[in-house]
Amino acid sequence: MKISVQINPPSILCSSIMFAARKTNLAAVARTFARGKKIQNKKQGVNNASTQKVVNQLSALSATKKQPKLLKLCPEDLIKHKTITNAWNVFQRKQRTKEAEILAKQYESIKDAMTELKELSPELFEAALKKERKFFPLEYRVPVDYPPRNPWNYQVKKL
Amino acid sequence: MLKQCLRLFSTAGARLGGYSTVQPVHHLVKIKKSALMPKYDEVSIPKDDIESVGFRPTEIEQDRVAEHYRNSLKSDLMLYFYEHDAEVVRGQKLRDHDPTSPYALYRHKRKPRGFGRPTRDVYPIGPTNIPELTGISLNLYAKDAHVYPWLNISTSLQLAQITNVKPKPVKSKINDLSWKVRMGKRCGAKVELTGSDMSQFLLTLTELVLPRIRTFRGVPKKSGDKFGNISIGLDPEDVKFFPEIEHFQELFPNLFGFHITFKTSARTDDAARVLLSSLGLPFENAPAM
Repeated sequence: MKISVQINPPSILCSSIMFAARKTNLAAVARTFARGKKIQNKKQGVNNASTQKVVNQLSALSATKKQPKLLKLCPEDLIKHKTITNAWNVFQRKQRTKEAEILAKQYESIKDAMTELKELSPELFEAALKKERKFFPLEYRVPVDYPPRNPWNYQVKKL
Repeated sequence: MLKQCLRLFSTAGARLGGYSTVQPVHHLVKIKKSALMPKYDEVSIPKDDIESVGFRPTEIEQDRVAEHYRNSLKSDLMLYFYEHDAEVVRGQKLRDHDPTSPYALYRHKRKPRGFGRPTRDVYPIGPTNIPELTGISLNLYAKDAHVYPWLNISTSLQLAQITNVKPKPVKSKINDLSWKVRMGKRCGAKVELTGSDMSQFLLTLTELVLPRIRTFRGVPKKSGDKFGNISIGLDPEDVKFFPEIEHFQELFPNLFGFHITFKTSARTDDAARVLLSSLGLPFENAPAM
C-alpha cells in the first residue's frame, strides 16, 4: 500500500513557513485507511427521501428557532410595561370578585326561592326536587364573532 | 435537648440532623454556593416577568371558551346542579380494625371498601365549586415505535402540530419481548393542555373534527374514570380532519391515533358529562330533549 504524503521541506531554511498550512493530503490518507464502509461526509447529507422527511420533521420540532430574543427594554419602557401589567391584573381580580359575588347572590336567591316554595306549597316543592337527567343541547354553541345569517334552523327534524 | 445546646463548630456532626441554636447560628445544611453566583440571578426571575429569559406572552388572543363559560355557563351549571338541603357524600376511607383487640393497636388501617383505594368526598355544588374543565391531556402510544424508533419524531410532531404545545415523551413501563416492548424505551408522546391552548383544541375538536368523523356516535357511554375525567379515542383516519394536518398531508405520511382525556373539577362522571355537553361535546347516551 502506497500513501501519497507530501512532506514540507525542513523549516530551518524558511521560518516563515512554520505557521503556514500543512500541505499533507489528509483526505487521501483518510480514504486509504478507512475500513469497511465509506464514511459519509456532512456535505453528502441524507440521500434517502423518506429519511429526509423525518429529518425535516425533527428540525421543525427543534427549539432553536422558537425561542424569541430577549426584549431589551429601557427603564422607562419597563416601568410602563409593569404598570400596565399590574393594572390589568388588578382589573381582572376585581372582575373575578364581582363575578363570585354575583354567583353567591344567585345561589342565595335559588335557596330562598326553594325554602319559600317549601312553605307555600309542598306539592310544587316535591316536583321541584325531582331531577331530570338532561344534557345541554348541541345547538347551544360557544359564541363566535361572525354568527351565521340564520343561526337557528327551525325546520330541522331529529331522526 | 443537650444536643441542641452543644456548639458544633464543624460539619462533622451534620449526620445528627440538628443545629446549634446559640447565636450566631451555624447551619449544618450544606449549601451549593456555586448556585448562588450572580450569573444565575436571571434564572430566579419568574417566567411571566418580561425581564425573564423564558418570558412568553400569555394573553395574546380572545379565549372564547373561557368567556362563554364565565358569562353564561357557570350560572346555568350552578342552577342545574342545585339540590335543596344536599349533604356531603362521604367517599370510601381507610377503615379501623376491631378497637377492642390489643393486637390491632399498631396495625396499618384496613383498605377501604370497593376497589381498595380511598376516594374523595362529594360536596354539594355551590357558587364556589361549579365544575369546570381544568385540562385536556392527549396521550399517544405508538406500538410500532418499539421497532422503528424514528416514529417517535413523527408522533411528537403530530401532537405539537395539533396542540401548539411541546410534547413530552412516553416511555414503556414493562418488559415484554414477545411484544418487543422494552422498559424505558420511547413509544409515543403526551401533552397536557391548559388555558387558551386547551380552549383552542376543544373548539377545533368540537367544531371541525368530530362533526366530520362518519363513525362517531358521541362520547362512549362507558367512558370515564368515576371521578369526573372523561376520555375518548381518535383513530389515525380521524386525525387527518384536524385542519393543521389536513392542509399539509404530504408532510405527515404517518398518522397516529391518540387518547384525549378531559379533566374536570367535577367529582362524579355524571357531573362531568353535563359540563362537557355544555361545552359542545356530543354524548352517546344523551337523553332525548
